[in-house]
Amino acid sequence: MVASDLVFQSLLNGILLGGIYAVAALGLSLVFGIMDIVNLAHGHMLMVGAYVAILLFGVLGVTPIIGMVVAFLVLFVLGMALQRFLLERVVGEGLEQPIIVLFGLALMLQSIGRILVGSESQATEIGIPGEAIAVGTATLSFPRVVTFVISVVLILGTWAFLKYTTTGLAIRATAQNSSAAQYMGIDTDNIYVITLGLGTGLAGAAGALLSMLFPIDPFVGWSYLLKAFAVVVLGGVGSVAGTLVGGLILGVSENVGVLYLGGGFRDIISFTIFLLVLLVRPHGLFGSSGGGE
Amino acid sequence: MASMTDSFAGLFDTRRRIAAFVAVVLALAAVPFSTTSYITDIVFTGLVFVVLGVSWNLIAGYAGQISLGHAAFFGTGAFVSAWLTTPARAGLPEAIQSPVIVAAIGGALGAGLLAAVLGPVLFRLTGHYFAIGTLAMASIVQLVLLDQRRFSGGSTGYYINNNMTEDTMFLLMLAATVLVVLVTYAIVNSRAGLGMRAIHDDESAASSLGVNPLKYKMYAFVVSSVMAGLAGGLYAQFTLYVNPESTLSVVWMVDTLVVVILGGMGTMGGPLIGAGLFLLLDNGLRSFAGEFATVIEGGLIIAFIVFIPGGLYTLLSDRYGRDEQSADADVDGTAESPPPNEQ
Repeated sequence: MVASDLVFQSLLNGILLGGIYAVAALGLSLVFGIMDIVNLAHGHMLMVGAYVAILLFGVLGVTPIIGMVVAFLVLFVLGMALQRFLLERVVGEGLEQPIIVLFGLALMLQSIGRILVGSESQATEIGIPGEAIAVGTATLSFPRVVTFVISVVLILGTWAFLKYTTTGLAIRATAQNSSAAQYMGIDTDNIYVITLGLGTGLAGAAGALLSMLFPIDPFVGWSYLLKAFAVVVLGGVGSVAGTLVGGLILGVSENVGVLYLGGGFRDIISFTIFLLVLLVRPHGLFGSSGGGE
Repeated sequence: MASMTDSFAGLFDTRRRIAAFVAVVLALAAVPFSTTSYITDIVFTGLVFVVLGVSWNLIAGYAGQISLGHAAFFGTGAFVSAWLTTPARAGLPEAIQSPVIVAAIGGALGAGLLAAVLGPVLFRLTGHYFAIGTLAMASIVQLVLLDQRRFSGGSTGYYINNNMTEDTMFLLMLAATVLVVLVTYAIVNSRAGLGMRAIHDDESAASSLGVNPLKYKMYAFVVSSVMAGLAGGLYAQFTLYVNPESTLSVVWMVDTLVVVILGGMGTMGGPLIGAGLFLLLDNGLRSFAGEFATVIEGGLIIAFIVFIPGGLYTLLSDRYGRDEQSADADVDGTAESPPPNEQ
């Protein structure tokens, strides 16, 4: 049996990790919910975001938190360009085209990453100084707490953006009924460009956050894509609050599961949860596909 | 869609085309005896990609189910065949030690069994969920084998013994390729093939007309996986080495995709042309573009799907013969929103 102290420690670490998983999934979930596109390159964009932060920290000594903002902006622009110049041409042509375009993009990002930085793992080994925090019998590492807080801020910020800004309103309107939105004078093409930018920007930010805690290599894309999608399925497509819940569930199950099954099972646990949830609820734990908010 | 098969059937109607097919097969059969072992290697890999391309095309191009887990079936075939010829290394009983042909068939059946077990689960999913679900399934298979070092050899890999010469292995692979192409051709032009295409075009319409979608999806999935497993089984016996990292790698899926997309999805000739082109690309590009070869392949997938969605086969055979109905099939009238994001 595993000692209860260890379980408690893993539970807390799982919650802290879950916050980042939620950010990693948020962009994927919004794009899926609003545009009905699964961004198969989401994990690879996250990897790019991580390297932006690592590079800025390693070369210029820029603090990873600023690095995260830069990673967000870089991926925001990349995502907008992707929608404007590629996806716009294939969406509505059937299911296969967007899936294959994004699969090809993922492949390109992975290969470019490998050429630029090699196959070795890298970490920022930051960055955020501070004492470990004691919680009962457990201790929380300060960087983990900081990244968790940033994650929650990002999620709340995205929620507020969708809820209270005009653009956010237009995005929700487009998600509900794009033709009606068009009649109301919303430029839905532009809304899709902004939505994909936001989704990929969040992938970049999540990558930067992950780079503060874990080593990154150019091949992590597939794994994080599947984890992010697991969170989407757990939390419900397009739901901001659900994404946070899904992230926490995944983070906790991974960390506690690893205690009992061993480190080699970390990804097996999350992918299996994902398949099991789909088995019970083919369109996700909380409901129907599509729809904003 | 129908016109594509018709043009292909028309292609084969003439004796000239059959003669050409036979000539190509005979020419390929001469490869190991008339060229260097380097070229034999390359052509062997090409045959593996013909099988992978043709089999993935059956499930994705014809039945319209974008599976991203093909690597799992290739890898399963490879490992089962490795265990069957070289059981001692995995601690399996000596009694199951089998000749190469039996081992390769065992690999194919192993992959088919995996597909038969997982299919009913995966086909609860549709569209995007199916694509990601199959990707997750392939990852799980790979991770489990990575973890089970005893059976997989871990990161050092698993070395295989057999007493076949490279030439014999090549001929076996060629025979398997011809078999796979002919079987697929027969399926595509049978009632089942018609059912698959009906599901591809519009699943709910097909279902309301009495086509059982699950039956045809499972048919395509299991047959396709058996073929991928056969390719894996023979590939393992040719290279005499399998490794969970590379044999089950998503790279096999990527390369299969390149083959089918470049050649033409949903056409019989597409994967054949695609595999040839892929070989040229892969070997040619690597010599001058080096590491950028993979980047270019990714770019080609995107460029083809955006600008030449029918692939080279359709481009070559008949520019205007392509039936666009699968693109705008929305017969059930439930679409509330117009493009760009229906379905």
